[in-house]
Order: sequence, then structure tokens, then C-alpha cells
Amino acid sequence: MNLLRYIAGRLVVYILVVIFALTVLFFVPRLGPTDPVEAMLAKVASQGAYMDAAQVDALRQSLADTFGLDGSLWDQYGAFIKRIVLTADFGPSLSMYPTPVMELIRNALPWTFGLLLTSTLIAWVLGNFVGLLSGWKPNSTSSRVMEGIAICLYPIPYYILALLLSILFSYIWKIFPLTTTIRGAPWSWELITSVVWNSFLPAMSIVIVVFGWWVISVKAQTTALKEEEFVRYARLKGLGDARILSRYVLPNAILPQITFLALQIGLMFNGSLITEILFDYPGLGLLIYTAVLQGDFNLLMGTISLSVIAVATATMIIDLIYPLLDPRIRHR
Amino acid sequence: MITVDNVTVGYGTAGFIKAVDQVSLTINDNEILGIAGESGSGKSTLMRAVYGDFSTGLRIQSGTVTGRFEDARTGKVIEAQSSQFAPLWWDQLSYIPQGSMSVLNPLMKIEAQVVDGLPAREKQGSSRALRQRIADFLAGFGLEETVLDAYPHQLSGGMRQRVLVAIAAFVNPRLILADEPTTALDVVVQKKILLMMVEIQRRQRNSLVLVSHDLGVHYQITDRLVIMYQGRIVEQGPTAEVFANPQHDYTKNLIASLPRLHGKRAVEVVGASA
Ligand SMILES: Nc1ncnc2c1ncn2[C@@H]1O[C@H](COP(=O)(O)OP(=O)(O)OP(=O)(O)O)[C@@H](O)[C@H]1O
Ligand SMILES: [Mg+2]
Repeated sequence: MNLLRYIAGRLVVYILVVIFALTVLFFVPRLGPTDPVEAMLAKVASQGAYMDAAQVDALRQSLADTFGLDGSLWDQYGAFIKRIVLTADFGPSLSMYPTPVMELIRNALPWTFGLLLTSTLIAWVLGNFVGLLSGWKPNSTSSRVMEGIAICLYPIPYYILALLLSILFSYIWKIFPLTTTIRGAPWSWELITSVVWNSFLPAMSIVIVVFGWWVISVKAQTTALKEEEFVRYARLKGLGDARILSRYVLPNAILPQITFLALQIGLMFNGSLITEILFDYPGLGLLIYTAVLQGDFNLLMGTISLSVIAVATATMIIDLIYPLLDPRIRHR
Repeated sequence: MITVDNVTVGYGTAGFIKAVDQVSLTINDNEILGIAGESGSGKSTLMRAVYGDFSTGLRIQSGTVTGRFEDARTGKVIEAQSSQFAPLWWDQLSYIPQGSMSVLNPLMKIEAQVVDGLPAREKQGSSRALRQRIADFLAGFGLEETVLDAYPHQLSGGMRQRVLVAIAAFVNPRLILADEPTTALDVVVQKKILLMMVEIQRRQRNSLVLVSHDLGVHYQITDRLVIMYQGRIVEQGPTAEVFANPQHDYTKNLIASLPRLHGKRAVEVVGASA
């Protein structure tokens, strides 16, 4: 019963977060000094096309249409939310006219999703493993070495690390491609290897920075858990190290990490923006970058709205999984 | 069973904080030995030294703790120093730690926590039969079968304490060390549990060491009693004798401070009704 209330509460929070974010997204550009329609008109004019007043008016009207700038502010707001929530329609891209924004997003999303999912998973599993061992046996050589590596990598600014990787492994030693080019028919072996090939460096760069964080966090957990009474009791039962680690320490150390994972998803997503730009990786981040550079208003609105919804959804899913794993919340 | 010979026990790797000072005692086969004494007198420390638990930074500075475990079931005899007891844990000896609140793993069901660590001899048969035996065993402590499927946070403090007593006793070892096993319980439940522990001890014919600062408890169930004061044993002997004829001032004070009912000491009233 309480679990149902928890789920319902979490869903309400989710909806509020999404609506709040979309509202901010709606108002911020409208509070700015630049009118996107006039900016577009100026751009067209600066390209040297001659238009008489009537033509300018017609263009102004159609632009106002696509930007949803008709009617009062409230009308615009209602139409904006309705369009996103009900039809997920952001109109055509202005820089890649007339391709619909949604189509561009649909093509980019799997890339970002795949990159983040695999790199987060790898970093999380590796980081938990190393953190657990180095917390359990802090004086062993292997855990010192692993922890040393993690601590050295942890503070390196991400873009420096990413640049370093790409200079070393794509420029000096031409092992990995400098820009992404995908070959192969859909679902062929060639396509898969080509995707893995192209994604390797960007994924590595994310794994390396995030890994250190997990190691440090799990190590702290494990060190504290070692002194917990139930772990000492398990030892007094004569249980072996492997059993104590797997049944007593690991589950109790991992559980809080799941919440951290939810908190990290947003940061990771922001990080992927830089990754994709630096590695020319065709995901949502690169699309946002293109939209900003080209002043593609529709594309910007679409990509950012979708990012907000994606991050909020991922966080919510993890939050919903958590109580299934923790009996103290499940059976309350 | 166990011979504690002039041991001095303390804590710390750099310095040494003495907690038990030149203590000698024996734990005989098939008896209930009580240890009483004020808080900080070294009762738990002595228990750890006997169990061979050095994980808290405990160190035996001098003296020896020797164990001789004779298993009538297998006919095997093991003699060892307590520093070599670890392989015998949850086989020849088991432990009920002081303070029950966080001794159980919060993410594991009670049944699994009873089974985890059991010696092979107690695990024989199907897992359903084992579950039934555990359920029957817990029933003796006033715990229903549903407790097996509960997580620790779903149990009250007293239930958890009973579970810990049951876990240690279900091992069916030669020696059970119980460090304040009934402190969190109300008087009625406490008495029930103590009687249950006596019954199990009589059935298993093993040794039980019971630490409690409650002299009433010792009067009810222990065969012999050891009184500790500031890290030393100031008095030991058959429980009835200690009560009838206390030698040390501290013991006299303890007995005198027990509440009186109708001119009789409460322990006599409780003892008579037990
Ligand atoms: N892990 C430890 N490290 C250092 N000193 C300790 C440790 N445990 C206990 N001591 C000290 O040893 C002395 C005896 O403590 P012990 O726990 O054996 O007392 P006790 O008789 O069991 O008391 P209580 O009735 O309160 O449980 C105390 O002075 C205590 O401060
Ligand atoms: Mg104690």
C-alpha cells in the first residue's frame, strides 16, 4: 500500500519537474531581447534576397506560426505544452529545412542513449568492484594501485582528458577514427563493429572520469560497513571473506550507489554534450551544438525539451527501482 | 571445557588499555556459568577473549585461554588456544553479542540469517525440513513462523534479541557465550527466554556462559557465578553459595541492593516461583 503511495508520489514529482522545466524553456527565450522572427528575417535579408513589404509580412507570419508566437502569452504557453506533450511536434528544423526536428532527434537519440548507458554501466560495475575491494583490504597492493589510478584520474578536467585521448589514439597513433563515420547496412555485423569502433574513445573518456568517483564513494561505504555490527557478527559466525563480501557488504554498499546513480544521470548527460562535440559523435549533444551555432530555434527547443524529459525519466526509473531492492522501504 | 589461566586482556596496538586483569576461571562441561559485574568491569572483554574474537583490537597480554572440545556425536576431541578458535566458530561454539539492534543484516531475511553459517551437521535434510525445524525452534521462543520471512527492521528489539538467542542455540554447539541476551526484554518475556535457554542447555548438555548485570537472572538459572569488579574476579562459586554467603564487599552491596518484597529479597520470590 505504502509502495503504491511512494510510486504515485514519485510520478507526481516527475510530472511537476517536467512541466516546470518546459515552462522555463518556454519563458526564457521570450524574456530575451532578441525576437527570433526579426532575427530570422534579418538573416534572410542579409543573405541578399530582395523582398517587398508584403512578402516580408507573409514570411513574418509563417515564422510566427512555426515558432508558436501567435496569440496572448497564455495561449502560446498552452499551445506549446500541448504540442510537446501530446504530439511531440517541434516543427521543421530551420537549418536543415524542411526535415522535421523530431526526425533529427530520433536519429540522434539512440547514439546518446547507447553511449551513456554502456559507459555508465561499465564505470559503475568497475568502480563498485574496485571500491569494494580497496575498502575491504585497504593495504593490499592491488587495491592500492587501483585506487591510486582512480584518484589520479578523478580530478582531471574532462575536456582535457578527452582531448588527450583523441590526440593520442586518433592523431598520433591512428587506432581510432577522428570523426564518426558509420558503415554497413542496418543490423549487419559490419554496422555493429563500426558503431563500437566509433564509440570506443568517447565511451572510454566517460568511463575514465566517472570511474574514480565510484571508487571513492564505494570505498567509503565499504570502510564504514566493515565496522558495522552485522558484518562483525557474520565474521563471528565463521563465515569466509567471499561470503561476507557478497552477502553482507556488497548489497549494503551498492544500495546507496543506486541513488547516486540517479543523481549522476543528469551530470552525465551534460557531460555527454561535451563528449559528442569533442569526438564529433552524432548524438543529441552534437545536435544541440548545431542548433546553437546555426540559431536553429526549433531544433534547440526540441533537443532541450527532450533532454529534460529523458533525464527526468531516467532518474525516475532508478528511483522506482530502488524500493524494490531495499526491503526497509518495500515493507514499511 | 575452557580453562582461563591468569589472563590479562586489553585493547590498543600502540598503547595498551587493560580491561581484564589476571583472571582465572574454568567453564565446565554441562553447566551454566553466570558472570555479573558493573558496567565497564570487563565482562564483554573476557567473553571476546574466550571466544577468540580479536577483531576489536583486543589483545591477550599474558596468560592463556585453553579450550577442550569433546564432541560426543563424532567422538572427536579438539584442544586449542582461543586464538585458534576461529575454525570452531558456529560449530563447537557460538556467540550472542551484546546489543541486538544492528547485529542482523538489514537486507537478509531472518531464515537466511539463521541458516547462514550453520555447520553441515545441522543443515542435513531438505531445505523445507530445515525450515520446519527452525520454525519449531523459534516457536519455543514465542516467535511465529512468519518471523522467518521478515527482515530485521520488521521485528521489535525484543524479537531481534530472541532471534539472536535462537540462532546461537540452533547451532547446537558445545559452548554458547551469551553477552546480556535478555537486556532489551520485559520481565515476563525475559523469564520465558531464560527458562528456554536452560531447557535447551539441559537438552544439549553443553556449556552456557551468561553475562548479565542482573543478579536476579543469575539467581534463577546459573549453576555457578563469577563476580567481576574493575577488571578482576572478586568472587566465584556455586550460585546459591555466593548468594547465601557473599565474601566481597561489592557482592554484598549488590545483593543488598536487590529490591525486597514482604521482607524477602525479590530474587527469592522470583526463584521460588520459577
Ligand atoms: N573496542 C574497545 N577498544 C578499547 N577499549 C575498549 C573496547 N571495548 C571495551 N573497552 C574498554 O574495556 C573496558 C571493559 O569494557 P567491557 O565492554 O568489557 O565492559 P562490560 O563489563 O562488558 O560493560 P557493560 O556491562 O557496560 O557491557 C572498559 O573500560 C572499556 O572502555
Ligand atoms: Mg558488555
